[in-house]
Amino acid sequence: MADVVLKNVQKSFGKAKVIYGVDLDIRDGEFVVFVGPSGCGKSTLLRLIAGLEDITAGDLSIGGERVNDLAPAKRGIAMVFQSYALYPHMNVYDNMAFGLELAKSSRAEIDRKVREAARLLQIEALLDRKPRQLSGGQRQRVAIGRAIVRDPKVFLFDEPLSNLDAALRVQTRIEIAKLHTDTRATMIYVTHDQVEAMTLADRIVVLNAGRVEQVGSPLELYHRPANLFVAGFIGSPQMNFIECRVAGVGPDEVLVSLPGGGSVSVPVLPHGVATGESITLGIRPDHVRISPEGALTGRVELVEELGENHLLYVDAGQGRRLTVREPGDARHEVGGTVSLDLAREFCHLFKSTGEALPSRVGTTNPAPSSPDLASRAA
Amino acid sequence: MSGAVAQTGVPVQSHVQGRRSSLTRSRIRAAWLFIAPSLIILALIAGWPLARTIWFSFTDADLNSLSDYEFIGFENYLANYDGEWLGLLTDPDWWHSVWNTVWFTLVSVSIETVLGIIVALILNAAFPGRGIMRAIILIPWAIPTVVSARMWNWMLHDQFGVINDMLLRLGLIAAPITWTANPDTALWTVVMVDVWKTTPFMALLILAALQMLPSDIYEAAKVDGVHPVRVFFRVTLPLIKPALLVAIIFRALDALRVFDLIYVLTSNAKDTASMSVYARQQLVDFQEVGLGSAASTLIFLIIALLTVMTLAAGRVRLGEDPR
Ligand SMILES: Nc1ncnc2c1ncn2[C@@H]1O[C@H](COP(=O)(O)OP(=O)(O)O)[C@@H](O)[C@H]1O
Ligand SMILES: [Mg+2]
Repeated sequence: MADVVLKNVQKSFGKAKVIYGVDLDIRDGEFVVFVGPSGCGKSTLLRLIAGLEDITAGDLSIGGERVNDLAPAKRGIAMVFQSYALYPHMNVYDNMAFGLELAKSSRAEIDRKVREAARLLQIEALLDRKPRQLSGGQRQRVAIGRAIVRDPKVFLFDEPLSNLDAALRVQTRIEIAKLHTDTRATMIYVTHDQVEAMTLADRIVVLNAGRVEQVGSPLELYHRPANLFVAGFIGSPQMNFIECRVAGVGPDEVLVSLPGGGSVSVPVLPHGVATGESITLGIRPDHVRISPEGALTGRVELVEELGENHLLYVDAGQGRRLTVREPGDARHEVGGTVSLDLAREFCHLFKSTGEALPSRVGTTNPAPSSPDLASRAA
Repeated sequence: MSGAVAQTGVPVQSHVQGRRSSLTRSRIRAAWLFIAPSLIILALIAGWPLARTIWFSFTDADLNSLSDYEFIGFENYLANYDGEWLGLLTDPDWWHSVWNTVWFTLVSVSIETVLGIIVALILNAAFPGRGIMRAIILIPWAIPTVVSARMWNWMLHDQFGVINDMLLRLGLIAAPITWTANPDTALWTVVMVDVWKTTPFMALLILAALQMLPSDIYEAAKVDGVHPVRVFFRVTLPLIKPALLVAIIFRALDALRVFDLIYVLTSNAKDTASMSVYARQQLVDFQEVGLGSAASTLIFLIIALLTVMTLAAGRVRLGEDPR
């Protein structure tokens, strides 16, 4: 059993507080991704789990045992660093074997493990090479191999793909997912890339400035972001945000008036919002439709053709820019006027505190999850 | 149309080539122009004295009448008079000074290397006041050798020296030791003062190498649970080896030329004379410019040979960049 439990874990570097009380319950065999903007404390949180930094306050337990004061080597973890952290003077074989040599393994046992990992990662032909003779992708494989041979209960990855080019990133991502299926080990993976987070994670932990914003499955975060930050962070292109006013409140819907004069009735629980209050409406580019009698009108500022779909950047007045994603080739030109319709069941409302209004009970996922997540992930 | 292009194409190309080579020629000319002054100065201050010394080593010149000498071939080095071999190569004092120098070099550089590594490792760790410590440790290196040798001479004085006084008070010795005069302790004393003086230099060079090392591999080793001592021998040492070799070569070449330290600490004592001390004695005290020049020439040859050998050995290993 290798569940990882964080209870009010905090970290300060001197006077600078970096992690503000994180509570997390990572189950055995789960693939959890920490995602968040650069500098939000993802690496620090991972290094706290690894034992490379001391925990300032709170409790960390791995496999039911409190490990706050345990050396990294005793925690049953293996870590893959963003910079690979390979020993530059050792060949690939020694890089993988070095950490094992003290672990009371016999020569033959070490040899078997190293060759097994090399086979798994298809780096058997490289065993005699030095790291400098390898490409970035090969180095990353060696770094992963070094983690595999330790047979850890928990794998920790710190942005393992960020130094690779796009094609290699996709390929290695798939291999990491496969490694997870094969080993069933608990994996904690840090990235700033939400596509990696969406595709790899069983659960995503969205971090912002040292605090957990939301924890949930990729689709939960996508469809029901708990706040403005998560809504803006998850999903690409970013969700559109429109400043509105509450025009009316029903038992399970909120009527908002749009800046251009139109209005939308959003099926969410009002949760104490009052008529006249200002509120932020959020809607993803896929759910803004071009239709003859839309609630908003605007001028097309920019068109981006992506082949399978296209993006329209529409100026809806007062510098408010909306992104619209439509399938196929663009049928509108820059400078043209379009009328936009907001699909009401896909609208999110955020109070001025940033908190999202909960969607109506029963409407779990706005059913046919039309956002072509799969194609976006690729 | 295409024919015209082909026709004009050829001369254009050769014209470009011609211009390129004239550019290269003017670059080479400029390069010579820039290095000429330093070459001339080098020839004047290094080449000329060296050539003169080598020339004198083949003469019977005397310090009293430097202009009045004769060419005597290799007689300063080796000569046979009536079946008796004479000359520098037969002088036991010369060979003793060679041995002293080599012994001094091996022992002092070894100790300095080990101590330098230890000091560098300590200074490389994060602790409060590290910046000040780094400055303080350099003080012995910053003091001119003659000054520090004089200072140690006083501290080691058999009657008034603070070191004998301390050892006596602590009861470690029964009678004062004549550190620099006693043949048993003299060379060790020289080594100790040299270690005191040049360990900071070693430490600084090694510290620079340590700071170039990536920190992530140490974290990887920590996660893998590799013992720090093992990490030092298997990771740190191989990675700083190129810098360490350079530092050792520097120090060894310096140590082979040792003069001021020994001269100030033990004067002209035969027991501790280095090659340089021997040469100075022949040249100045005995006024034997020919013999002294022969000794100087041999020192030059020995050091040049060792330098070429270490550089050749070093190049093989340095070329094998560990990164
Ligand atoms: N050793 C350290 N000393 C002081 N501040 C640090 C240290 N490591 C990280 N920080 C700070 O902690 C914050 C989070 O860093 P990090 O966890 O690396 O962010 P990221 O989410 O990009 O991985 C940053 O503001 C960084 O400056
Ligand atoms: Mg980071």
